[in-house]
Amino acid sequence: MDAWQIVYVPDKPPIPPDQQSTVDVIATVIEPRLANTLVRRLNQIVPLENLRHVKRLRWRMAYLAGKTLLCLILCLASEHGDQFDSIPHEVQELISPHKLSTFVTKVCKYAATSKEEWEEQCKLWPTSFHPPTYSIDGITGFSEEDSRSVFSFMNSAIQLAKSGGGSVVNAAVIVDPSAKIVIATARDQIYSWHAPKDEAILETSCSERPFASHIDSNGVMSCETPGGFPDDSKQLYDDVSCLYPWRWAEQKTDMSSCCWHPLRHAAIVAIESSASRDRRLYPSSGDIQDKLVDMNSAHSSSTGSPAKRQKTNLTDVKSDWKLETCCEGSHSLAARPYLCTGYDIFLVWEPCAMCAMALVHQRIRRIFFAFPNPNAGAVGSVYRLQGEKSLNHHYAVFRVLVPAQVLDGAETCHGQPTSTVVDNYGI
Amino acid sequence: MASPKEDCSSITLAFMDLAIQQAKLALDSLEVPVGCVIVEDGEVIASGRNRTNETRNATRHAEMEAIDTVLEKWQKKGLSKSETAENFSKCSLFVTCEPCIMCASALSILGIKEVFYGCANDKFGGCGSILSFHSSNSNPVTSGGLPQGKDFKCSGGIMASEAISLFRSFYEQGNPNAPKPHRPLILPETQ
Ligand SMILES: [Zn+2]
Ligand SMILES: [Zn+2]
Repeated sequence: MDAWQIVYVPDKPPIPPDQQSTVDVIATVIEPRLANTLVRRLNQIVPLENLRHVKRLRWRMAYLAGKTLLCLILCLASEHGDQFDSIPHEVQELISPHKLSTFVTKVCKYAATSKEEWEEQCKLWPTSFHPPTYSIDGITGFSEEDSRSVFSFMNSAIQLAKSGGGSVVNAAVIVDPSAKIVIATARDQIYSWHAPKDEAILETSCSERPFASHIDSNGVMSCETPGGFPDDSKQLYDDVSCLYPWRWAEQKTDMSSCCWHPLRHAAIVAIESSASRDRRLYPSSGDIQDKLVDMNSAHSSSTGSPAKRQKTNLTDVKSDWKLETCCEGSHSLAARPYLCTGYDIFLVWEPCAMCAMALVHQRIRRIFFAFPNPNAGAVGSVYRLQGEKSLNHHYAVFRVLVPAQVLDGAETCHGQPTSTVVDNYGI
Repeated sequence: MASPKEDCSSITLAFMDLAIQQAKLALDSLEVPVGCVIVEDGEVIASGRNRTNETRNATRHAEMEAIDTVLEKWQKKGLSKSETAENFSKCSLFVTCEPCIMCASALSILGIKEVFYGCANDKFGGCGSILSFHSSNSNPVTSGGLPQGKDFKCSGGIMASEAISLFRSFYEQGNPNAPKPHRPLILPETQ
């Protein structure tokens, strides 16, 4: 693999096309002129309730006769016993005048979730296919510019993961994709709890030209980092929090750090950092939060519903507040985010269940990860939280395939994606 | 998972009552009312309540608050990681609502001994309602047989009606000025 590539991780596990479940139906061959009448009547008396994706009619070549025949599904076959006794009386009444002879055939039980599945299904019996209609960007593909931006942020997450000087850990970069600014960055803090990074740097670097021109210093820095990914690709990366969440208690040789925390995985730390940025940039929640609650009425039961708050003079209060506290440049009132709504997170490794659920709570819009997590991954490997229907929020998940040489520290600075890496937010 | 109510000893109810007190504190602070206590050797060593609004960090659930308190306490005492793990394996958590997937997963990572909860969490529950982190038998099998989370005992339904009535008052007091709130009386989305 030499190219950067973005792969959508669907909310349901893909079923190998040839292993799809099927059900038996009773079908018959009909005269084409009868098709309309029969289909209309059958849809009334025996609608294919749970098989809406299955087409009722199909053309089929009759090899011996050398002509095409029109086949029609009459109804579901019973699971046991005599198929023809199981045909409802009304259907029998419908077919007997035409002296139709019936046969049993198989159709796919579930609607196809991918084009590949669909093509396979149609070999059995035609079905219809509706591609997912999410409104989240990227599911139907990324533009050139968006791809470059994704690769760039992922590369910066990978550099961050390697930047500790010691072992490689998981790293997270939270991004506001609309403005292409970095909201928060974090490394795992399980074994040592670094002093909080200089968030002022983070703030100032956000504003301008996020993809411009720090490349020389940045590239060199990543090359000189002693803790690059080792050449040995069989390396276990056993300091990566989400890969081995249960190993925190195993004593590390490094006893020097006095602060450690088994749950401070990179994603959790990044969420904390973005929340503290939010509090710092928008110190007064008050009326703002009311406004947000109203704006997000669909989410209102989760936003905390600030109660007993006076709504009097709201407009005036707001504009004053804006004048006084929004002097930090571009951070206007309208830009005040609700949690991480609209933000993306770039993680080097697929998040564990704790982190993946934390990202649901914080309303992350898209997750990008580079390496799957077969031990504990919760967005496709072991669990698939993006497909848990009961949750109140669903992010879209993408895996970013990275060129092999990105794993190899020495090559990193030459193996950049088409454009540049990042600005200088502290890696 | 949910064990019958008659199992509740008076001491269980007493600890759950402390958790309810914490949930009430959350309610008073306009937070989704969930509270908990962590008990070691019959003694409460930490308590916590939901702080998601105050912190603007939707992961600051009661359980996470209490866990942080415990870890800080033990680190001040100079406990090693293995001693910390050993201590967690003797701790019980009493929480007013079934831990969510995040918290249940965290409790399994820490290796807590036992969890008692009030009402079930039909939308987010990680102790049986949606996923099951308390019992690895029900976890999907992963390749290679790598170590999975530690199991913990789990009993639900303890003082559930008290916990639910707190949620109800939260949503009723919610936003009195909002016209026709889109707020059915269901469990809070932040837990
Ligand atoms: Zn994790
Ligand atoms: Zn929780």
